[in-house]
Amino acid sequence: MILRALWMLLLPLLLLPGVARGQDAPLGEIIARFANVEKFDQTEALVRELGATGDPGVRPVLEALAEGNLYVRKVDNAIFIVPGSGKVLKLIDPLTGEEADEASSSALKKVRVNNGLRRLIRDVLSTLTLGAKSAEARMAAADTMFANPDPAMIEALDAAIEAESDPAVKLRMERARAAAVVLSDLPESDKIAAIELLGSLGDRSVLSLLATVEANADGDLQRAAADAIAEIRSVLAAWDAAQNVWFGISLGSVLLLAAIGLAITFGVMGVINMAHGEMVMVGAYTTFVVQGAVHAFAPALQEWSLAFALPLAFLVAGAIGVAIERGIIRFLYGRPLETLLATWGVSLVLQQAVRMIFGPSNREVGNPSWMSGSFEIGQMVITWNRLWIVAFSLGVFVLLLFVFNRTSWGLHMRAVTQNRRMASSMGIRTPWVDAFTFGLGSGIAGIAGVALSQVGNVSPNLGQSYIIDSFMVVVFGGVGNLWGTLLGAFSLGIANKFLEPYAGAVLGKIIVLVLIILFIQKRPRGLFALKGRAVEA
Amino acid sequence: MYLKSKRRSLVMGAVIVSGMLMAEPGFAQEDTIKVGVLHSLSGTMAISETTLKDVMLMLIEEQNKKGGLLGKKLEAVVVDPASDWPLFAEKARELISVHGVAAVFGCWTSVSRKSVLPVFEELNSLLFYPVQYEGEESQRNVFYTGAAPNQQAIPAVDYLMNEEGVERWVLAGTDYVYPQTTNKILQAYLESKGVAPEDIMVNYTPFGHSDWQTIVTDIKNFGSAGKKTAVVSTINGDANVPFYKELANQGIKAEDIPVVAFSVGEEELAGIDTGPLVGHLAAWNYFQSVESEANAEFIETWHAFTGDESRVTNDPMEAHYIGFNMWVKAVEKAGTTDPDAVIDAIVGVSVPNLSGGYSTMMPNHHITKPVLIGEIQDDGQFEIVWETPGLVVGDEWSDYLPDSKDLIADWRAPLSCGNFNVATGKCGGKGIN
Amino acid sequence: MSSSLFGGGLDRRILGLLAILTSAAVLVPVLNLAVPPTSSFHIPTYAVALLGKYLCYAMLALSLDLVWGYCGILSLGHGAFFALGGYAMGMYLMRQIGTRGVYGHPVLPDFMVFLNWKELPWYWYGFDQFWFAALMVMLVPGLLAFAFGWLAFRSRVTGVYLSIITQAMTYALLLAFFRNDMGFGGNNGLTDFKDILGFSLQAPTTRAALFSISALMLAIAVIVTAVLVSSKYGKLMIAVRDAESRTRFLGWRPENIKLFAFTVSAVMAGIAGALYVPQVGIINPSEFAPANSIEIVIWTAVGGRGTILGPVIGAVAVNWGKSWFTAAIPELWLFALGGLFIAVTLLLPKGIVGTWDAWRAARRARRSAGKGTSQVEPPVAEGTTARTTRHSIEPQPAE
Repeated sequence: MILRALWMLLLPLLLLPGVARGQDAPLGEIIARFANVEKFDQTEALVRELGATGDPGVRPVLEALAEGNLYVRKVDNAIFIVPGSGKVLKLIDPLTGEEADEASSSALKKVRVNNGLRRLIRDVLSTLTLGAKSAEARMAAADTMFANPDPAMIEALDAAIEAESDPAVKLRMERARAAAVVLSDLPESDKIAAIELLGSLGDRSVLSLLATVEANADGDLQRAAADAIAEIRSVLAAWDAAQNVWFGISLGSVLLLAAIGLAITFGVMGVINMAHGEMVMVGAYTTFVVQGAVHAFAPALQEWSLAFALPLAFLVAGAIGVAIERGIIRFLYGRPLETLLATWGVSLVLQQAVRMIFGPSNREVGNPSWMSGSFEIGQMVITWNRLWIVAFSLGVFVLLLFVFNRTSWGLHMRAVTQNRRMASSMGIRTPWVDAFTFGLGSGIAGIAGVALSQVGNVSPNLGQSYIIDSFMVVVFGGVGNLWGTLLGAFSLGIANKFLEPYAGAVLGKIIVLVLIILFIQKRPRGLFALKGRAVEA
Repeated sequence: MYLKSKRRSLVMGAVIVSGMLMAEPGFAQEDTIKVGVLHSLSGTMAISETTLKDVMLMLIEEQNKKGGLLGKKLEAVVVDPASDWPLFAEKARELISVHGVAAVFGCWTSVSRKSVLPVFEELNSLLFYPVQYEGEESQRNVFYTGAAPNQQAIPAVDYLMNEEGVERWVLAGTDYVYPQTTNKILQAYLESKGVAPEDIMVNYTPFGHSDWQTIVTDIKNFGSAGKKTAVVSTINGDANVPFYKELANQGIKAEDIPVVAFSVGEEELAGIDTGPLVGHLAAWNYFQSVESEANAEFIETWHAFTGDESRVTNDPMEAHYIGFNMWVKAVEKAGTTDPDAVIDAIVGVSVPNLSGGYSTMMPNHHITKPVLIGEIQDDGQFEIVWETPGLVVGDEWSDYLPDSKDLIADWRAPLSCGNFNVATGKCGGKGIN
Repeated sequence: MSSSLFGGGLDRRILGLLAILTSAAVLVPVLNLAVPPTSSFHIPTYAVALLGKYLCYAMLALSLDLVWGYCGILSLGHGAFFALGGYAMGMYLMRQIGTRGVYGHPVLPDFMVFLNWKELPWYWYGFDQFWFAALMVMLVPGLLAFAFGWLAFRSRVTGVYLSIITQAMTYALLLAFFRNDMGFGGNNGLTDFKDILGFSLQAPTTRAALFSISALMLAIAVIVTAVLVSSKYGKLMIAVRDAESRTRFLGWRPENIKLFAFTVSAVMAGIAGALYVPQVGIINPSEFAPANSIEIVIWTAVGGRGTILGPVIGAVAVNWGKSWFTAAIPELWLFALGGLFIAVTLLLPKGIVGTWDAWRAARRARRSAGKGTSQVEPPVAEGTTARTTRHSIEPQPAE
């Protein structure tokens, strides 16, 4: 209702931009009144008043208000826009946009906002932007109108559609118009056309609108609405399945990253590495440290701190891995179950060490902007960070395959793990190969930590939360086979995500675990069993 | 040889057993009053509880600067129950019977509290429990300084309903007793306010849930039905970071679908970039951003004590602050640390809280608190957008659950009952039906 | 005496352990109840509860040793059997609360009342009877182990695959018991017990009695294990552990032998859990946590697997260390514990008992070599050595 009232007020302004200005109180006077507000509804009234002026000049003020950057100077109750934070702040005149003064933060009082106000400001701004220069702003305006359909704005939209050149924006505007038409008292044929348009777009959010039409109308209109609903439903069902597959792939890529280092240390070397999760944790904390360092020394490179973190995480985790191998594991070859004990001890020590160095609470690792947000394909939402992680995990996988199958180092590794004595007689320095293989596995876990810091916690418990899943993936896929790990990770991920909507997150996971247990009965050596004599113990 | 060896192993066994007994720390020295701190310093809960251990050490140090208590110095006894629930009971027993502490400040999760309850009852000692919880409990030896559901959940829902016009609700929580009970209460409350059952979606996830893609999408779809939708989150600890990251990345803004959380405070936000989360809400009885003299002083002391300007303060810390001061005042009033005397003396004790008012210990062993609603800011702090006009009394037995609405707790003589049934006039719950 | 290895079953060290356990079962309650607290011989109730807990852990470690040390099955899910036994006992104790719960409901436990359950789920029936609960303590873990083992051993799942699916089993149970809809109290589990067979659980006499029962049950478990491993079946178990294929080619059915050991071991773990619950006063899903099961493996390894004494000593020593460290150095105890595990694996690969045996044998060998005369009972010493070294050879699933 609020919005409808607003529309009535704004409609003439939209149609005749730039004409009906300056009749009300001058902007400066309204803005000055922000100094005296005490309650949110007073602020709300002022925002409405500013919006009603229709003056594009209110834009910076409203934006600053929404972002919490509008301040009152305590001494003289003057209003300023104050971007940034710190002890000494720059004051910007809200009308001219020029730097006016400087003041300490204690001399200023913030004009408070809440969700309701931010929403109002967004709506007010969008009505000012249907004719804006940037396509993005026009699109946002059209979407706001679509979310709050109102027959009164059909004319405004018609005008805007006429002038629109960007086809994507035009479509959004037409969608907004159709939604408004459905609610209007236009002739039935118009409405049916609008319903058909809405139905063909297949958007979930028009379902409730159409359902109201279906409930209240009769005859052709009702039939058209019912058809449109059925059409949308069937389209959505297909998209939902696609969405689930994507979620599964994305979960699978996380599992793959967590498990692939283990596929080397456990799968290839036979070391039951309970400290594997802690290597992931070390990688994540390296990311945290690198991000802090970049922020302090080279703020310009902030966006690319992950690129620095990757090699460093590999080196740090790899070095710790080599140290563990040289210090502990090399004494335990041929006794895999004892490596479990020792590495469990290592994991306790590493966890507590991190807890003492970085504190027990979560650490913040930010997403760079190229990994934030999402985009849509039809009715499917794909977030950038997940997409990057899928790509990254596949990249790591291909790299490892290359190292194992195409380099001499990989050849040595395979030789040593398959027949140590023979390899040794052929002149391979087996101790070094062991150390580097373990270091490689740990280093890969480290770079997995860089990626996982983008979706989850960075805390001393990080490793613990991945270790069980990692073991499941490696065993399910078949120990000693990288392809098995890949297929294991993705099939577990997709199975999980398909079960989740029906069974819920908890039950879904239980079912997957039971399936793994049953699967192992069927194939006691995992998906890809190694063949040959070596298999039989 | 046979006998000799048997004797030897007997001797060995005796050595082991006596070694175990002797190795236990000796009894308390008489010139100090010992205070037990029972918070996990390792394991999954260390993430939240370690800070509370630090704040207890700070409060005890401050009290000693003021001259201690009853002319004696206070001495903190810190143990680590390692997020292991049976170990909580064992450590509580150790604190009370081996170290002879006068009171224990500790526990975070409900299960850890449930685990130690019988120990405090049996050994008649005092526990101050600083975390918001599901209610449905009042025990003679326990003082609940965190919020009961009516001091957090219900005001938050009222705010969303009245100020934001929310009509459709997602109740998302971790599957354990606090969210289950809170959501039961909220469901009953919302339905009493005329919300249709199909406008409420309840969702539970396991502890440490990290893949929120499906659920966030469900929330988004649920919220696209044309009615204003909000999420009431009782998601616990570690699962919050991936949840909020997913929310931010899928572009769910607070203006569209606000999330109000009961377990997310300054400490939890420290692990997230709050830029995209501005406007999501939390309901607590204290925020670091509260403007009061007591709070400014508390934060300053805290920063000085930890030597770290970036350490935040949060609601459970305030609860310990209140609880500790109440205990100190009650001991002074009683003139002794004897638990029975303190239990009698503490009811009615008022101490300043950090939001500029006073909190009082009520006869049901819960305290009075203001309820604040804050919006997340991009600096990781909360801005208070609403607060209750007065103090709210913690209601241990919810009025919205059919089996507990007739129950009250009053530990003053002569009633002295934690589950008095006003309908039957008897102590002992609902009675046989 | 020389046949004490596998023949007599109870060698003198085991008899020594039994003597300690039975005398503890008598002495500890006496020193706790009859000796005044001022006396230096008094054992405080706190220590009784602690020792009782250690004994339950010792029994659990012994049950794992039976399958791991003697049969070569590394179970990373033994905590599940322990917890199931504990839950069965916990359900009995819950039903005993009766109207003394906070809501005063005569039948439903408190957690069901406030989650609005209207009636008792069927699987709670019968648990108001002690005999039924006692039966279930053994039956539930036993049946689960039987079903699991029947599937796994017949499909010849071995080595790490078996270890990981036992871990999957306990993890799945952990998640299942976390669910409040399961009707086992969710994360909070079962707690606030009042009495057992009419005796108050808070009374020192009940605690002392529970301690004695734990000590005696552990003694029985030790006897059962010792007799079992020295019987023909025990030899077959060891044969399966050391060379499964060869045993099969000789005409035995390794899967049946393993299944038997696994089931017996699960029942033993269940009993340990049932004794544990009334003493610690709570049973909740975290007992199913995979980390707990790994800890059991560690106790056994620290003590020395493939020996009867080892797991008992290991469980008591590690847990005592944990109790002590968490109070003495709360911030650093994980370093101490982690360091201990690393040190034991590197320096005492055979565990405490195995290393002790090896050291004694070496000393004796030196001495007899030096003197050139035979000692009183050389066969025993050599036998012991031979056993421990043989037992510490790990069956190797070659890659």
